[in-house]
Amino acid sequence: MLKLQVLGGASQQLSCLHTSISLDAKHWERNNRKVYPPQLPEEPRRPAEVYHSRRQIKYSKDKMWYLAKMIRGMSIDEAIAQLEFNDKKGAKIMREVLLEAQEMAVKNHNVEYKSNLYVAESFSGKGQYLKRIRYHGRGMFGIMDKVYCHYFVKLVEGVPPKPEKRTGFDQAKEYVQGLKNRTIIHSL
Amino acid sequence: MMNLSALVHSLRCSLLRIESRLLQISGLDSQLAPALAVNGPSLLPQIEQDPQQDEEQDPEQTPGLLDSILWMAAPKKRRTIEVNRTRRRAERKLIKVKTNIEPCPECGHLKQKHILCGFCYAKICKETGLIRQQIKEMEGGPLTAPPVETVVLYEGETPSEQDGGKRIVERPRKRPAWFRN
Repeated sequence: MLKLQVLGGASQQLSCLHTSISLDAKHWERNNRKVYPPQLPEEPRRPAEVYHSRRQIKYSKDKMWYLAKMIRGMSIDEAIAQLEFNDKKGAKIMREVLLEAQEMAVKNHNVEYKSNLYVAESFSGKGQYLKRIRYHGRGMFGIMDKVYCHYFVKLVEGVPPKPEKRTGFDQAKEYVQGLKNRTIIHSL
Repeated sequence: MMNLSALVHSLRCSLLRIESRLLQISGLDSQLAPALAVNGPSLLPQIEQDPQQDEEQDPEQTPGLLDSILWMAAPKKRRTIEVNRTRRRAERKLIKVKTNIEPCPECGHLKQKHILCGFCYAKICKETGLIRQQIKEMEGGPLTAPPVETVVLYEGETPSEQDGGKRIVERPRKRPAWFRN
């Protein structure tokens, strides 16, 4: 009896380690499974978050970064519109990812209006490369990388936050204030 | 200028080969293969060591020609990732946000202001494809098009007075709303 209980306890502890080998166990997607404790009535409503990604896209991570940078902070409708009329190869793939994420948000993550989302985080990462040989003259060769990238996006419910505009004057004021705050410690 | 530089390059290479063979014979040879590229069957001489050997061992016989080679542009230091990032992420290299996107009044899909709506255009292309197929069936072969105008009529339509001498293409469906007479 005791042995079985111990075994049951051990398996429960072990299950919180990454034991699954499936593709679903990747870090970014696991964020979707996070469950918060129920909110108290006086707390402000926590906005819904959706994490989505696509792996092993046949595109360069540096080129994908430019598109990811463009849509950071945009509302989802604006982002989809911009990507629709962009001529880059990654734009089409990114648009599909955003539409999938929007659908997921409405179906699984309790988002009421599909337009009430904005892109909180969006970035690209390096995928697993394939290596090939590129022949040069005089019997030399180089190793050519067939590049792949991943794309990650996080959508949050609500109106996109306005980016704070810091003018040069504000930065100068802060710098001068920092200089003024200097003092001698442990003085009389 | 290209021919001159190629000639100079071939002269340099032949000089290098002679030197390397002399070195190998004398036993003073210690060469390593370049780090990035791998050679074929034989070790080929390096071109970086060339200016030093040239100056030390072979006094310049043709100063005018060989002087210009030592000038080759090469990076002095590795560009740091900070320098690379500031160049790659400069404002002019980022993608500009388009402000000329608006919804199409006909179908509601998005379109650019100066370009036809993609959805509406595709719909029209599809219908014209079917009309062309009909015409192909009517003609039955290449180079048999009659030298008259064509008019397309849908279900329940009769040719009007203007369409007197024209060729009639019948489409067995209702007239689409966007195809006005």
